[in-house]
Amino acid sequence: MKTLKVLSALLTYPTPELQAAARELTAVLRSEAILPRSQLQGVIELVDDIAQRDLLDAQERYVLLFDRTRSLSLHLFEHVHGESRDRGQAMVDLMGVYADAGYETTASELPDFLPMFLEFAATRPAAEALELVGQPGHVLAALRERLAKRGSPYEAAFAALVALAKVKLDSAQLAALRAEPDPEPDDLEALDAAWEEEEVTFGPGAAAQCGVDGLAAKIRQGRRPAPGLENAHRKGPATVISTSATPRT
Amino acid sequence: MSHFIDRLKYFRSTKEAFSNGHGIATNEDRQWEDGYRQRWQHDKVVRSTHGANCTGSCSWKIYVKGGIVTWETQQTDYPRTRPDLPNHEPRGCSRGASYSWYLYSGNRVKYPLIRSRLVRHWREARKTLAPVAAWKSIVENPEKRNDYIQVRGHGGFVRATWDEVTEIIGAANAYTAKTYGPDRVIGFSPIPAMSMVSYAAGSRYLSLLGGVCMSFYDWYCDLPPSSPQTWGEQTDVPESADWYNAGFIILWGSNVPQTRTPDAHFYTEARYRGAKSAVICPDYSEAAKFGDIWLSVKQGTDAALAMAMGHVILTEYHVKREVPYFRDYVRQYTDMPLLVRLVSQNGKLVPDRLLRASDFDASLGETNNAEWKTVGLDEVSGKIVVPNGSIGFRWGEQGKWNIEEKESGGNPTKLRLSLADVKDEFAEVAFPYFGNIAHEHFTHTNHASVLERRVPVKRLKLADGEAIVATVHDLFLANYGVDRGFGGGNVAASFDDDTPYTPAWAEKITGVTRDKIVQVAREFATNAEKTKGRSMVIIGAAMNHWYHADMNYRGVINMLVMCGCVGQSGGGWSHYVGQEKLRPQAGWAPLAFGLDWSRPSRQQNSTSFFYLHSNQWRYETLDVKEILSPTAPPGPWDGTIIDYNMRSIRMGWLPAYPTLTQNSLEIAGKAAAAGMEAPAYVAKSLKSGDLEFAWEDPDAPRNYPRNLFVWRSNLLGSSGKGHEYFLKHLLGTSHGVLGKDLGEEGRAKPTEVRWHDEAPRGKLDLLVTLDFRMSTTCVYSDIVLPTATWYEKNDLNTSDMHPFIHPLTNAVDPVWEAKSDWEIYKAIAKAFSRVAPEVLGVEKDVVLTPIMHDAPAELAQAFEPKDWKTGACEPIPGKTMPAVTVVERDYPNLYKRFTALGPLMEKVGNGIKGIAWKTEHEVDALKHLNGVVTEEGPTKGMARIDTDIDAAEMLLMLAPETNGEVAVKAWAALSKTTGRDHVHLAAVKEDEKIRFRDVVAQPRKIISAPTWSGLESEKVCYNAGYTNVHELIPWRTLSGRQQLYQDHLWMRAFGEGFCVYRPPIDLKAIKGVQGLKPNGEKEIVLNFITPHQKWGIHSTYTDNLLMLTLSRGGPIVWLSETDARKVGIVDNDWVEAYNANGALVARAVVSQRMKDGTLFMYHAQEKIVNVPGSEMTGQRGGIHNSVTRAVLKPTHMIGGYAQLAYGFNYYGTIGTNRDEFVVIRKLRKVDWLERPFKGKQEPAARHNKPEAAE
Repeated sequence: MKTLKVLSALLTYPTPELQAAARELTAVLRSEAILPRSQLQGVIELVDDIAQRDLLDAQERYVLLFDRTRSLSLHLFEHVHGESRDRGQAMVDLMGVYADAGYETTASELPDFLPMFLEFAATRPAAEALELVGQPGHVLAALRERLAKRGSPYEAAFAALVALAKVKLDSAQLAALRAEPDPEPDDLEALDAAWEEEEVTFGPGAAAQCGVDGLAAKIRQGRRPAPGLENAHRKGPATVISTSATPRT
Repeated sequence: MSHFIDRLKYFRSTKEAFSNGHGIATNEDRQWEDGYRQRWQHDKVVRSTHGANCTGSCSWKIYVKGGIVTWETQQTDYPRTRPDLPNHEPRGCSRGASYSWYLYSGNRVKYPLIRSRLVRHWREARKTLAPVAAWKSIVENPEKRNDYIQVRGHGGFVRATWDEVTEIIGAANAYTAKTYGPDRVIGFSPIPAMSMVSYAAGSRYLSLLGGVCMSFYDWYCDLPPSSPQTWGEQTDVPESADWYNAGFIILWGSNVPQTRTPDAHFYTEARYRGAKSAVICPDYSEAAKFGDIWLSVKQGTDAALAMAMGHVILTEYHVKREVPYFRDYVRQYTDMPLLVRLVSQNGKLVPDRLLRASDFDASLGETNNAEWKTVGLDEVSGKIVVPNGSIGFRWGEQGKWNIEEKESGGNPTKLRLSLADVKDEFAEVAFPYFGNIAHEHFTHTNHASVLERRVPVKRLKLADGEAIVATVHDLFLANYGVDRGFGGGNVAASFDDDTPYTPAWAEKITGVTRDKIVQVAREFATNAEKTKGRSMVIIGAAMNHWYHADMNYRGVINMLVMCGCVGQSGGGWSHYVGQEKLRPQAGWAPLAFGLDWSRPSRQQNSTSFFYLHSNQWRYETLDVKEILSPTAPPGPWDGTIIDYNMRSIRMGWLPAYPTLTQNSLEIAGKAAAAGMEAPAYVAKSLKSGDLEFAWEDPDAPRNYPRNLFVWRSNLLGSSGKGHEYFLKHLLGTSHGVLGKDLGEEGRAKPTEVRWHDEAPRGKLDLLVTLDFRMSTTCVYSDIVLPTATWYEKNDLNTSDMHPFIHPLTNAVDPVWEAKSDWEIYKAIAKAFSRVAPEVLGVEKDVVLTPIMHDAPAELAQAFEPKDWKTGACEPIPGKTMPAVTVVERDYPNLYKRFTALGPLMEKVGNGIKGIAWKTEHEVDALKHLNGVVTEEGPTKGMARIDTDIDAAEMLLMLAPETNGEVAVKAWAALSKTTGRDHVHLAAVKEDEKIRFRDVVAQPRKIISAPTWSGLESEKVCYNAGYTNVHELIPWRTLSGRQQLYQDHLWMRAFGEGFCVYRPPIDLKAIKGVQGLKPNGEKEIVLNFITPHQKWGIHSTYTDNLLMLTLSRGGPIVWLSETDARKVGIVDNDWVEAYNANGALVARAVVSQRMKDGTLFMYHAQEKIVNVPGSEMTGQRGGIHNSVTRAVLKPTHMIGGYAQLAYGFNYYGTIGTNRDEFVVIRKLRKVDWLERPFKGKQEPAARHNKPEAAE
């Protein structure tokens, strides 16, 4: 699915090469034509925006958005695990998925870097690719919302990914997403609520409070295949990004 | 029923039950379990540590899977201690355990970043120009320069390649060296002990360039000047294991469980062993809970408490009953028996300087340095004798620099402590009293400013006539107001007298009841009496960050010395502030300062520098008259604070870089043209005015510091006192300064430093920061370089808390484009060498350095210091003015020099603290160990220093602490000077050579070396002053003894000859801003205190969201319930704190723990996370240093006088900040300033800082 490769390129730091490749990218998008019309139009606008913008301006924007804004990080596990211990193991697992498919990484990037993940997905058969993209669907949806809030043309890339992945958030996930601490900065009440610590309880039911990190780790752990069983049991891509976890800011 | 039919006859189930059916044996596939097993399997476990300047220096296991760090756990393999002493492990804390989170954090700096506005100009210029010319075209064009400097802190970064950024940096450095001089290139990096190779990388580059290495220990206010004043030593303290040997421990302003977490177990264990502990701190801290008794002292009045305890100890253990151990200790190890001249001044007798041999006829037979030899009265013969060990014996002769109880002629002597029994008469001697100075927030008393007390004196015939003299001992006791039955006023018959310095007097000032003061003093002294000195005071920043920190500290030091605790196991002064102990310092210095290539290097005391160049002096509110002693002798006591610094520089006391208005690369040529040697030329030209100190006109563009490197540091987000002044003047960007300068206020201006009506905005052309995380400093930089984390590089780590040296190692290669500091500076050196030939070749650089401690020149001016500028004397380099040296710089070969061990180690040798030895053997060993340079060029055949491990090997090989052979050489060299054999201290370790791979295998205990005053042995824990007391090696002071009387003219002028209580100074930062912009909320004025925190180390970890979550999730300040109630603040309210220096915004923690009148803001909470805007400044709410301003003390500027002489980091002005007050009020509106950044510089407009509050 070359469209995924195009999206991977668009989410990479803008370079003269990327700008020069604008026509090629547009051509691929049009010829593969797997994006719904409205999303396709948005992505093409993004391609043009990057291509026509002054390179340094485009780079400055990219750095501000994706390098400097934690809530827009393109490292998927930033949103799933944040600064928790589980992040290291999650990356180890994801590297394993790439290795199983016969790839090793060449860039000095972490395995959960979204453009890398998309490039990998682009190499897979269509069904598997879409399933892969669907796994971090909730993160992609969250990023889309946050970019939309900022009026950024990069929103289009995420809109496309969300459409491709056919992310359907169930009501619980949607509620979780909306409960994200992304309050109106001038609303004191909302701020207080967002910052308020949870009450600690003990005894039955306490386990449910272990939080996002612990939950995500447990789910991933449970699904991790035992050595020697990987190939026998695997149908399609392994689940590497838990969809049950609420994305973090 | 028999169940016959159910029973199997021919089969047995493989699922057989056992234990009455509770267990069952099965044969199922159990491979699923491997998933769990694998979780704890790793490709490798690597040893590393954390360079956070926490003093913990804990060794950690780093777990790596598939090239990714998964987590870390504590190492437990420290070498064991001896029987009856707990082991060092466990070490480590919650902060260290969360470090792996940083590696992959969203806040990691991943690529070299540069301000896009700068790189746009650069690329444009580079199309047609060579690198240096390109840089010149940008910074000499005001429009282009302003274009990027005015948006510092406002985002706008793009990624760049290493090649491009190193070329820009190299070009900027070359341009600056060529145009203004290399001393306009400055580098700030702190605490080499936490990663000494990384520190050395930058300092080696700067030193080879002729740039300036900035000090940190003094700037951080970790340096207690009382330590060099008393002992001639920066700081030397017991390791934490020695707490266990103590019988009585006072925790005085040190929060051990919170800030010395890995060491706290020794404190607990000491208490299990039976030690008693008193905790002295204003708030009910974590430490307070450990105390058997808690003294809640009014903050800033600790000296009063210490003086009262001293009063009790002197009265009960030295006068009413004389403890023989105490008496003999002070006789042999302190200046107490030495004679002081008393002079008449305004009709009153005041203590003058210590008598010297040269004061007597024929100098009492002393032909060498008689002016620097102190004298005493022999108890047996009644004659004046010159006891061994004073500083005069240290230089120019050998064998008598020791503190044996002998006089210079070799005869045993017993010095008389008191003249009471042999006096000619009693005299009324005047002592200054400062406790009567009124302060709105501190209690004062109504005693007179000059207190006369009766002292036994003798009349002696000196070479210049008769003089009245007294012993330090008698004056010392008089100063404490101790009644010895001599009669006269201002002495206390009872502890209940309201006389300075009784417990009753102290009760009023400190708020601690007199009975508690007496109890703690008695317990402290009684324990010391019974154990011969095993009473200890653990002391910290809380005491040392006050303007009059010296008094707090000297008050405590006096208590320890009175009780013979210094230099004894389990006793002494345990000042733990900053990871200052760079144990292999002597091996590290050549690497760090390029001493293998050129000497000396330029080293600047940061406090004076930043005070000057962030223009904080322009806002000075402290009038020198407010701190001058009522007993000040005649002298030049006019002018403002900065004037004293300028006088100090001129007389060669403190360093000054940039030094001269003229380029230091051009002076040697001019000297040659005049047919003169450089030193003589500089002296003559300074006198004639042809040469001028840059510090005399710091606001002239040619005198600006131009390029600043910051690495291993968060200068702007953490340690930059006067943060807003940095932003306004040094950086030239948006700032929150609210006060007015001296010009606007029409106050007296400096006389020695030129005033410009318009202050500069933006002195720096280029600010480069190396960091692994996007700190506040990074946000304000022009170029940010991604550096390796502590798990991605090889380095070494030591601490004062334990005796081990252990490594940082690269568990994984640096991720993204990060490189280690060593590789980054190598790359910069390479780029610089490539671009430099455009303007620079081999150059002669004239370097001015101050008169250094531990060198013969420390004997500069023995009596009243003379200033050549006033015509009182001639400027003589190294004596009455800075020393002058010509150093050759080979700019095109800087990179080659950087990566090879230069020739001076073989030619000149190595040394430290006045001890020198040869190093040919070690250099040769390094050639074999590291290999030699094979490439053609000036370094061919020299030992390689290519990798960080090569560099580590170099310092380990050259340091006595890690190479037993060198230790033996060093002790042998010292033995010659002292005339005593010390070689036995290291002889058993002569064959031990600690290499990098050794410490990777296991932390190693360092070898005893004369660099330090403690020993590492099977018998004692490391304790400071141990070799002074037990090996009779003198302290490196004027008298060679613990110097309790400071007789320098400036010390006497400011009333600190003896320790006195001085109330906090009034910085007047409230007046003028209170009520300036009312928001309708009530306001309260509180004392602003910035202790060390729990969930971070300085600013490290304070941008870690999980760690923040453990507290309130963002910046917080603490205040008492009473204070909060007064102004309607409730817990978790947003509040604003402000004064003339700026403003900060935080949430309020309202707590019973807090003492009324204080506001705590744990330093250092970053302003890049969850910080809204301030209503006062319209800027983002600031950091703790937004409301502080550095203020200097003249007594810290003294030089050329034995222990009062300059040493990098261990002497000079300190960045105090506790005397500051702020206005607190509730914030009406929380504004996150989340709007697009518009335009460049709009003063008072609301700016968006896009990188903040994410």
